[in-house]
Amino acid sequence: MQPEQDALKLGIKTMMISELMLTLKPDEISENAPIFSPDGLGLDSVDALQLVVALEKHYGLKLPDAEAASQVLHSIDSIAAAISASRHAAQTGPALAPPD
Amino acid sequence: MVILVTGANGDIGQAIARRFLHNDAASRLWLSVRSRRERAEALNAEFPGRCRILSLSAAEAAEWESAIAGILQTDERIDVLVNNAGLHRDHLTANMPGEDWAAVLSANLDSVFLGCRAVIRPMMAQHFGRIVNIASLSALLPPKGQSNYAAAKAGVIAFTRSLAKEVARSGITVNAVAPGYIETEALKGFSAPEKQGLVQQIPMRRFGRPDEVAAAVEFLACPSAAYITGSVLKIDGGIL
Repeated sequence: MQPEQDALKLGIKTMMISELMLTLKPDEISENAPIFSPDGLGLDSVDALQLVVALEKHYGLKLPDAEAASQVLHSIDSIAAAISASRHAAQTGPALAPPD
Repeated sequence: MVILVTGANGDIGQAIARRFLHNDAASRLWLSVRSRRERAEALNAEFPGRCRILSLSAAEAAEWESAIAGILQTDERIDVLVNNAGLHRDHLTANMPGEDWAAVLSANLDSVFLGCRAVIRPMMAQHFGRIVNIASLSALLPPKGQSNYAAAKAGVIAFTRSLAKEVARSGITVNAVAPGYIETEALKGFSAPEKQGLVQQIPMRRFGRPDEVAAAVEFLACPSAAYITGSVLKIDGGIL
């Protein structure tokens, strides 16, 4: 599981660098540090929107509103967790049976 | 390129669509019309297989969402949006019915917001987009009797500049053109002496042609105009 998660996180970092035109290398991006904090990567709300669009395009991860986006886009770890959860949900179907 | 031109039944919309069809053989044109569609259909017949006609009330959010979804389903991308649809209902402000204020703001300004909002995400995903909003010289040099139209078009210019900053990093440019007196249906409402009076205000001593507006739109929409964004190109024979 761990190598799979590491590959996913590396993929997210590489995608972010490409999509947001960052002049960084993947190993310069911390996996648990807040992405949008002032002492983080220096990204802004425009980058956040581009990231939301890119996550849907590359990983099929839909973030329907600003609240969901702000939770998921906290760090590389939280993005990877959301992608894993959405893949798991897609494989197993809805957790609850629909009401009659 | 996949191009959507709104207000495609009007003189300027026709000229814009025609110019893209003539000069870019690979372009696919989506022509949006509100009610009258005969001229858009004639263009479609003239360039078979290159055009699609879309019924769209440009001030209705839901119609925009389904129109763009339809374009993406068919062509898988949207490269250029030309927000050309609009109308004017001129009155002195003291006499202006509230519904004519609202209708003009909605048709000219809400429509631009809704169209841009609908294409931003797909354009961001493809890292390319060209948005050209048709403003008016009335926004820069507002005449009496057009406070609604001038306010709406000034809003279009401010909106264009703000949005340009929001999407600049995503390969999307957003620009406006501001046509002055152009030989269109709207100008036919003036009498010959009134027209003569208008021409006297134009340093070039003639009205503009729809194709001269289309040339500016085509330029701003081309891939090589990549570093021009948030600009307003006036097309007025030198009035301003």
